[in-house]
Formats: sequence, structure tokens, C-alpha cells
Amino acid sequence: MKSALFARSWTWVAALAAAALVLPIVVDNPFVLDIFIRVLLFAFIGVAWNLMGGYAKQLSLGHAAFFGLGAYTSTILLIRFGISPWIGILAGGVVAMAASLPIGALCFRLRGPYFAIATIATAQVLMLLFLKFRDFAWGAEGTTLPNLGDAPLMMQFESRAAYYYIALALLALGLAITYRIERSWMGFYLVAVGEDEDAAEAVGVDTTKIKRHIYLVSAFLTALAGTFYVEYIYFIDPNTAFSFNISVEAALVSIVGGIGTLWGPVVGTVLLEATSALLQSWLGSGHGGVQLTVYSLILVAVILWRPSGLIGLFTDLYQRFTHAGAARAKEVPLDG
Amino acid sequence: MLATLAQAVINGLLIGGIYALVSIGVTLIFGVVKIVNFAQGEFVMIGMYISFFLASSFGVDPLLSLLISMPTLFAIGVLVQHFLIRRVLALGDMPQIFLTFALSLLLMNIALLLFTANYRTVQTAYSELSFHIGPLYFPVAKLIAFVIAMLLSAILYLFLHGTDLGKAMRAAAQNREVAMLMGINPDRVFCVAVGVALALAGAAGSLLMPFYPAYPLVGQVFVLMAFVAVVLGTLGNITGALIASLMMGVAESLGVQFVGADSGLIVVFVMLLLTLALRPNGLFGGWAR
Amino acid sequence: MPARREQKKCRSMAEALVIRNLSKRFGGLRAVQDLSFSVRDGETVALIGPNGAGKTTSFNLITGYYRPDTGSISAFGRELVGLRPHNICSHGLARTFQVARPFGKMTVLANVMTGAFLRNTNLDIARSRARAAIDFVGLSAKEHTAARELTTIDQRRLEMARALATEPRLLLLDEVMAGLNHAEIDQAVALIGNLSKRGLTIVIVEHVMRAIMAVARHIVVLDHGQKIAEGSPREVVANPEVIRAYLGTGYRHEAPAAGTVGGVAC
Repeated sequence: MKSALFARSWTWVAALAAAALVLPIVVDNPFVLDIFIRVLLFAFIGVAWNLMGGYAKQLSLGHAAFFGLGAYTSTILLIRFGISPWIGILAGGVVAMAASLPIGALCFRLRGPYFAIATIATAQVLMLLFLKFRDFAWGAEGTTLPNLGDAPLMMQFESRAAYYYIALALLALGLAITYRIERSWMGFYLVAVGEDEDAAEAVGVDTTKIKRHIYLVSAFLTALAGTFYVEYIYFIDPNTAFSFNISVEAALVSIVGGIGTLWGPVVGTVLLEATSALLQSWLGSGHGGVQLTVYSLILVAVILWRPSGLIGLFTDLYQRFTHAGAARAKEVPLDG
Repeated sequence: MLATLAQAVINGLLIGGIYALVSIGVTLIFGVVKIVNFAQGEFVMIGMYISFFLASSFGVDPLLSLLISMPTLFAIGVLVQHFLIRRVLALGDMPQIFLTFALSLLLMNIALLLFTANYRTVQTAYSELSFHIGPLYFPVAKLIAFVIAMLLSAILYLFLHGTDLGKAMRAAAQNREVAMLMGINPDRVFCVAVGVALALAGAAGSLLMPFYPAYPLVGQVFVLMAFVAVVLGTLGNITGALIASLMMGVAESLGVQFVGADSGLIVVFVMLLLTLALRPNGLFGGWAR
Repeated sequence: MPARREQKKCRSMAEALVIRNLSKRFGGLRAVQDLSFSVRDGETVALIGPNGAGKTTSFNLITGYYRPDTGSISAFGRELVGLRPHNICSHGLARTFQVARPFGKMTVLANVMTGAFLRNTNLDIARSRARAAIDFVGLSAKEHTAARELTTIDQRRLEMARALATEPRLLLLDEVMAGLNHAEIDQAVALIGNLSKRGLTIVIVEHVMRAIMAVARHIVVLDHGQKIAEGSPREVVANPEVIRAYLGTGYRHEAPAAGTVGGVAC
């Protein structure tokens, strides 16, 4: 119901898209552009997480596993075999999908917090394994990526704007996929599984298959983000690639913004990154603890007062200003 | 060879006692309040810092500081339950997971801000002491910690089985509705449960100080062990958590001794994943205690 | 002796559900013991018994939520034991839960559409089928209400609509009448009668005798997990075992009048 309100107002979306496309032309400052790239990337990771964690309520805190697998696959292909990251990024996605099958088989037996713990454990195990793999994965020191200058075919660009557009494309991909799923039978099934698995089974929903399928999609997308990130910062190591912080942020932005909604992760990322940028300008950098402290305070506040996320606030405001009333949106998952 | 093995087992058991305090707390909260406390490790950390500051400012021995850290953490537990946990009890899994999770992040980062990431240690007369039986040596600090940990566990057991409040807690754990019908006030029971669990965490912290450094992220290691032990020992089963913690300690120690110095963690994780794969209900079946 | 005779007779009629020697225990508790009964195609059967008799457990066994220790369950010729609930639903068995379990976040329409998608994944077709089911139970006015905002009784209606949307051949209703007033019971009875006229096989678990008498020709009585009686409503009501189970041994009933026959009506 709520995401439809935004999505239906195509004018808003079009305006947003236009602004997003034009931004790098207007904004010259590489530092500011970097912030936007990070926002786009983490919003994308959040969108990928949201499919599983928001709609189907499978609260994974181990998505870094897929992020890292994507990152390492493409890097290994690039450095050991000279294969372009444009292929590597897809290969990474496939590897992540393959990994999601045994991980899912193991973890889906568990409900709620124990699922979360199991996913944390799998991401940590992967990190520990990659810390050990010296021979083909560079172990704990990781590696820098070869700087090929301006090499578009190898996903390396002089201009930062190019990275911006790739990140934007990724986010658009994630949103498009979410949108399509939301409006199909699968969207209904996902929410059903998220609401009540037993009841879903009773009406013919193969809950195991649905969870498995959405995990595949979520893992694939997250892996794409991993490859992009590594290509962007020219560096990879297990602590970065499988970082628990990535898993946390993936979940955080969706929960704060609006769990199980199309734009929730975007709203959440913008909010959290804006907060982060503000904090940095007030306090300067070097106060790592402050950022996470504030993040966690925001999270606690949201959980206590608006568990469904802040996007509800915005849609309420929108409704009030535009008198959209109790709009009977036609093509919405939560409404038939 | 045998001596090395025996020593590793001893080391494992001794630290297992600490893991037990932490994991019993987690399983107690899970059994009674039915939520997973992701922040349990941070309460251990708080206990450690309390003992550290009492030692460095007033020269109070960490073991003595138990008398302060435990009641303080009990009080914190009551507040956490009453003002935070109670609000999300009706909301379902997601808010519950993320509340304690956010609490964990919050506490870790506040500690980082207040105390910096520096390791804080306390040196006591017995920090370096150990006594020998044959080829085996028993570090005094760890031994005392183990003994006190077992003592506290025993006291908890007596409390749960011998007192009315303890029995009320067990009743609420088994069947909340029936317990309510029998006049047991759930909020009071929950407050006590969380308070006790956090007091145990605080105790673990104080007991650790003589031989372990305090730093903001220290809780993460212990909470991980605790979770594995809780799952292994069956959710909600206190005796199970105790036994599993000792097993975990030994497994970790054997891993470090025979596989490699950094293998302790991977052994633990593998144990967790194996448990989840083969016996998701834990070693002690499906009945919560 | 009567049992063998009835078995031969039954084989010539189509059977929607055949339960043979079903048993299930939970730890020390024998929830269902050696239960056997059959339901003919198109029949409405009531499963009754005191609380804890094993009625809902039987439903959970039939619909695949529990796995029986022994025994077989077959519906429309297919063995159900070992199948997951969604397979069983797909095979044509739908159920409601004793305490309604709607998908709270979704509207009534979305809830029922989720059921309809089992048979056709096309959004428009599912929507129109869902609307038909919603109309049947009388919830059309609340189509766009979020399920969690419905009254308990409306939630039960929703459960039924959602189950019907899966186009079942056999419907299992778990205490749908609990807490309803007279008028509502009449409505529910009419609904069930309608469904029966459409050819649906129905098994209801109920305590409300009025409703049972109105809809069921065939009653199976459980106590402590075992079948203690089976037959037409009149036979069952007169059965001393049934009376003992409900009222205890303090109440004894006269021997049934001559002319009634115990045993399964075929």
C-alpha cells in the first residue's frame, strides 16, 4: 500500500531519475560524488537484502558472504586469468547464487534469531577461510587491483562519473527487480511467507522453494555490489569483503527506511548517510565510534517507535499534503 | 603428549566456566522472555570496565568487585527489560532481534567513545600465579574464575528449583499463558530473568579481569561462544548451556593447541554449523528447562 | 462382523478421504491412537469429541503439519503421508485454523489472491477468483481492509475464503463456529450447506451441536485420541460411550431403542 503511493506517482520517480542522471554533470567535486556513489551502492545492497529480509522476513545478518564471494570471484578472474570484470561481475553473481543453495539449505531450518546467527556464522566462516587461502586469494593482506588507467572494458575509468552511473544502474536494476516481483504472484507469496509460513503452506505456497528462490536473487544482486565495490576502491581483503559491517548496513538501511517496501532501503540509506556526513562535518573524522553510536541510536528509536520503518512517515505526510486519501492502488502486493 | 592434551583440556574447561556464565544468561533470557539477547557480550564488557575502574581508582580486587558489578548489572537488566524489551515483545521476531542487536552496537560504540580502543588490564597478586600438579599447571586466576562460575551456576540452579520466584520463572518459560492464569506477573518475572542474566554476564566480566584485557569489542568473542553453546545445549536449557560451554571451551583449546593458533574460532563455527545441520534442537533434545 | 460388511459396501462408493490406523504420540502423550475412518466424496462429516481428544491433531496429520508414527492417509486415491502441506493443498485439501491466521499486512483481497495463485498465477484471473470467494463468504465490503484490522469473525470468514480460493475438493474446517451467536451460526451453516451442494467434501471439527446436527450426516467421535463411536447423528447421540466421554461415568443412558444399528452408515 505504502510503496505504491510513491511508485504510482511516476512524476516523482521520473523527476528523481532525471535528477540522478544529471547529478554528475552538475556536481564536480570528487568527494561529494564519492558520497553519492556510496549512497547508491548501499541503497542497492539494501534493496538486495530487502527482498529476503524485508518481504520474506528471513533476517539474514550474513549477506557479506555474498558480497565477498562476488568481490573475490571477479578479482581472482581478473588478476589470475585476465578476465574482464564485466564478465567477472556476472561470474561472481553465479558463484554467490551457488553458495546460497547450501547456506540456505542449512539455515532455513531455523527460524528467527537462530537463522540470523547461522547467517552470521557462515559469513564469518567464509572470512576465516579466505584469511587462510594464500595461494589463490592472497590471504589476510589481500591485494590491490592493477591500475589499468582508463580501461572501460576492464571496468576501470578515469572519471568518477562513470562509477556513479554504474552504481546508479545497479540500484535501478535492484529496484526494477523488486518492483516486478512485488507485483507478481511471487510478491504475494513472499509476503505470505514473511507473515506466516505455516498459513502460507496451507494455501499451497511451497515455502522452501520460495525462500530458496529469493535467496538466489538476493545473493546474486549482493555479489554484483561486491564486485563493483572492489573495482571502485581497487583493493580487496577478507576483512573488507566479508565485513560484518556490510551485513549490518544491508539490514539497517531497510529496517530504518521501510522493511518490505520498494523505496524503504533508499530512504534508509539517504537518511543514514546524510547523518553520517553531518556528523563528519561537525566532528571531523577519526571518531569512528560516533557514527555507529548514532546509527544504533536511530535504529533503537525506529524499532521502538516505528518498527515498520520511517517510510511510513513520509507516505503519511505525502497523503496529507496531496489529499491522496485512502488510495485504492490497484497493482499493489499488500492490496490485491 | 598426553600431558599436552590434558593441559589443553584443563585450559579449555577453565575458560569454559566463563563461557558458561555468559551462555546461561543468554539461554535464561531466551527460555523465559523468549528473545535472543545479542547484547549479552556487551554486558560482560561493562562488567569488565566496572572492575577495571574499581581496581585502578580504588585498588579494589576484581573478585571483590563482583559485589558491585553483579548488582549493578542486575539493575541494568531490570531497566533494559522494563523500558526496552517490554516494548517489543508483542512485535515479532524482527524488532526483537534488531533491538538487542542495536543495543549491542550502541554499547560497543559508546564504550569506544568513552574508553577508546585501548586494552585495559588489571594486575593482581595472583594474575601470573599458577600451581602445579605433576606436569599440569593450573593458573590461579582462571581456576578461581572457574570455581566461582560453577558456584554461581549452582546458586542459580537452587534459585530456580528452590524458590517460588525461581519456580515462577520456570513456569513462565514452559507455558506463559498458564503461568499468567496462575497469577504470575510476567513483567516481574521477566525483569528478574533479564536482571539475573545480566548479573551473570557482569560476574563473568569481573572474573575475567585478572587475566583478560578489557576493550570495547571484547564482548563479541564471548557472545559468539555463548550463542554456539546455547544452540548446542538446546535453547532454554540451562544445564545444557553449562555443559555445552565447557565442551566449547575444550574444543576451542584443543583447536588452538593442535590445529593452529588462529583456529579456535573456526573450530567453534564449524561446531555451530554442524550442530545446526545435524541436530538443530541441540544435544539435549527439544525440551526447555 | 458389522465392520467387514461395511467395508465391502464402502468400496463401491467413491471415497474422498481414507484414514487407516493413524497414530501419533508426542513424548509420552498419545494424541491419536489407531484411528480409522473414511469420508465419502461429497459427504459432510463432523469430527467431535471432548477437548484434547485429538481432533486438531488429526487435521494437522491429514494436512501434513505432523507426520504420523503409523498409519496411512489417502485422499482421492493418493497417499498423503510424507507430503508437505503445500503439496496436500495442491492435491485438493484445504483447511482453516482453529485460531485464524491471516496474512496481517495484506488486505482481504490480497490474502485470498494468495490462495488463488495456486491454480493460476495470472494476476487478473486470481483477482476475479478471489473476489468470487470473498463474495461467497460475505466480505466483499471489506475487500481492501488490512487483514489484521478485521474482527475475529471476519478473520474466520477470510480464512475460509482463502481456503476456498485454492479450489479444494475437500475442506477441513476447524471450529469455525466457536463464539458465534445464533444468527451467525445459521449463516455459517448455510454457507457450509452451499459448499456441500457444490459437491465439496467437508470435514468439520465442531462443538456446537446445533450446527453439527444441521450439516453432518456422518459423525466420528474421538476421545483420548481414539475413535469411540461413529454413525449418524441419532446413533451417536444415543451411544453410551459418547455420553460417558462427554459427561463422565456418572451419567448412564438407557439402551438405544430397537431398530437403530450401530456402525458405519454406508
